[in-house]
Amino acid sequence: MISNIVPEDARYLSSTQYRLWSFTPADLQALRTTTNQFAADRVREAVRRAREARALSSADVSDADPESKSRGASALPEGEVDCLTVEEELKLITYFCRQTLQLGDHLNLPTDATAVQYIKRFYTTNSLMTYAPDTILRTALFFATKTENHYFRLSKFAEAIANTKPEDVLASEFLLTQGLRFTFDVRHPFRALEGAVMEMGAMAQGAVPYNESAGSQPQDMSRRVKIAHGVARDRLKTSALLTDVYFHFTPSQIMMASLLLADEELIHWYIASKFGTEDPMAQKILIVLSDCAGMLQTIEPVAAGPTTERKAISALAKKLKKCRNPEKIDLVALQKVKREGDGVEDEKVIKKRKMEREKVAREADELFGPGLTTG
Amino acid sequence: MSRLKSQSTALTDDPLNDICPVCKSNRYLNPTLQFLINPECYHKMCSTCVDRIFTSGPASCPVVGCGKTLRKKGFHKAFFADLKIERECDIRKRVGAVFNRREDEFESLSSWNDYLEMVEGLIFDLVEGTMKEKAKAEETLRAHRAANAKEIEDNKRAGLEAKDVELQREREEKEAVRQRRLAILREQEEDKLDVEKERREMLERLARGDGDANAITKHAQKVILKKSSARRNLAESNFADTANGSAPSNLSIRGLKKKVAPKAELAYDPFGGLDLKPARYTLQSSYENEWLDNAKNNTLHMAGGYSMNEYYSRTMFEAFSGLGIFIGDQVVEKSLPAAPATIGTVGAAEAAGGRLRQEMNTDDVF
Repeated sequence: MISNIVPEDARYLSSTQYRLWSFTPADLQALRTTTNQFAADRVREAVRRAREARALSSADVSDADPESKSRGASALPEGEVDCLTVEEELKLITYFCRQTLQLGDHLNLPTDATAVQYIKRFYTTNSLMTYAPDTILRTALFFATKTENHYFRLSKFAEAIANTKPEDVLASEFLLTQGLRFTFDVRHPFRALEGAVMEMGAMAQGAVPYNESAGSQPQDMSRRVKIAHGVARDRLKTSALLTDVYFHFTPSQIMMASLLLADEELIHWYIASKFGTEDPMAQKILIVLSDCAGMLQTIEPVAAGPTTERKAISALAKKLKKCRNPEKIDLVALQKVKREGDGVEDEKVIKKRKMEREKVAREADELFGPGLTTG
Repeated sequence: MSRLKSQSTALTDDPLNDICPVCKSNRYLNPTLQFLINPECYHKMCSTCVDRIFTSGPASCPVVGCGKTLRKKGFHKAFFADLKIERECDIRKRVGAVFNRREDEFESLSSWNDYLEMVEGLIFDLVEGTMKEKAKAEETLRAHRAANAKEIEDNKRAGLEAKDVELQREREEKEAVRQRRLAILREQEEDKLDVEKERREMLERLARGDGDANAITKHAQKVILKKSSARRNLAESNFADTANGSAPSNLSIRGLKKKVAPKAELAYDPFGGLDLKPARYTLQSSYENEWLDNAKNNTLHMAGGYSMNEYYSRTMFEAFSGLGIFIGDQVVEKSLPAAPATIGTVGAAEAAGGRLRQEMNTDDVF
């Protein structure tokens, strides 16, 4: 089957979306389970460490820093840590992806679809318990404006979102790129939809020849194409982004499946007009499309989540708060420590560098520039 | 020339090299001073001394404590400044003339190596050995020469023959190159003459004034072009013939690898063999799309070089790119070693498999 691969498919096979971010459902499930277990183990370990530290500091009350103590106390839950399961994590991720879409709408960003995919990709190998979704969400949204070439000033971005400073957005930026395995290309089905709709429109007007064995065109085709276009676009904007179809299907298949949900007869005819009715490839594609459509149907194409779930989500959010990894809560501080070192023994180095800088600046002001000898 | 040479040696060498140890004459006084040695004892003396002492027949070496009987015939100029090396080379020549077996006379490589080692040991004894060792080695050499006189003679002849063949081949090659160059020159000459003739004819026809001037010149140019291209083709086919024909003639050289013509290099393909021609759709020159109407009619939009065709080709490509890829299948197929797909086979299988899991074990950025 692979030997007679067509050029379009060959080009998709070379994309990172295919090479690194395509999974079978079983593989994806296994990956998420491992991620979840690793994260849960780490959370338990970190909480144990934090408790030991607190026990030590409460033993000598005299020099305990009141601020850190109160923060640590509030962050640390009592008793055995109750970690999120894979399903719970998935529900929360879907919720936060919806949030991302809403935030993107609010900021009028056309790149929120990419941001959602970044979040989904990031949380295949990282857990919500390790890195808080609300920070990752902002970073992903901002980062998507960069990768999709839609410039947005960071300070404006931070201003537009409540309680956000530029540092918060940037702190997890490298973390995110690492989670994405440094592949920023997301192949969306949106442009593909335009292509298919344009071609079907042209077919309806008789401008494009097609395989006659598929039978005559569906009745009233151009109107039906227009309607299907709108319905499919709504599907792609919500269901396609919030389900896992990007991991399991190619953009072309996702697009076709969303059209299939809109107008089944039309798409059956379209596929037949491309491949002929008897072609085994066409049969296989139709099976895959119905799989994909089934997956798309699990989430309704509306912007807001179902009201019935709201309670469950807030309960999960509370649970998440209790099982956060206490060592990874303050990403900004971690980032600062990483960038500037621990600060104690490095002070000498910093001072030395400063002296050197000043010396160079002084010498550069002299008539003939700095001396030729270095070091 | 010799003057220059001697001066330069006088500048670089130490002063002892400039004084004859026998007559003490100096290069400063006699710039043409030349030193000779005799391989009997390797004592250096100037050519004047050699003439003076040995013209009247064999005499003993004038160097104190040597006393070997030397003849004038044996004197020659040293090739190496270091006489030790000169002597070793002479000994090697002498031993090599006796022990002149070739590798293909031996059954195995190790026996050939043993033989070489034996010869080398003998040479070492002759060069560096004590009196006794030297005498013994000399004795072996003599015995070997006496015992194998015939074989040595045969080998010597074979070696000479091989050298002859080699020389012959070199000569032939040179000759062939010369002939080829001549042929090319001749051809170029002919070309030039041809073109000249054509041009003269055209001028004559123009002068006679029959027919349209433009037509004549155009026709003449066409003729010239046709002829030159025909000639080029002929030359290429000739060249190919000679290349094929010359192969079986050099049979005398053994162990040469058969020559394989290098594969013609393909033109550089920036897409690494990816075919860019669509297979599932034919791109139309224009599609109807209400979103695009504005852009199509807006000069502000189009002035920057926005191309509708780019948009069409991209959307159509994305509509069908990957339609026939079934991710479950492909991941399974990738694990088969014989899968012929070369593109992107590494990633997804790995991503689905162990690598990601290992990555999770490594600590994150913070």
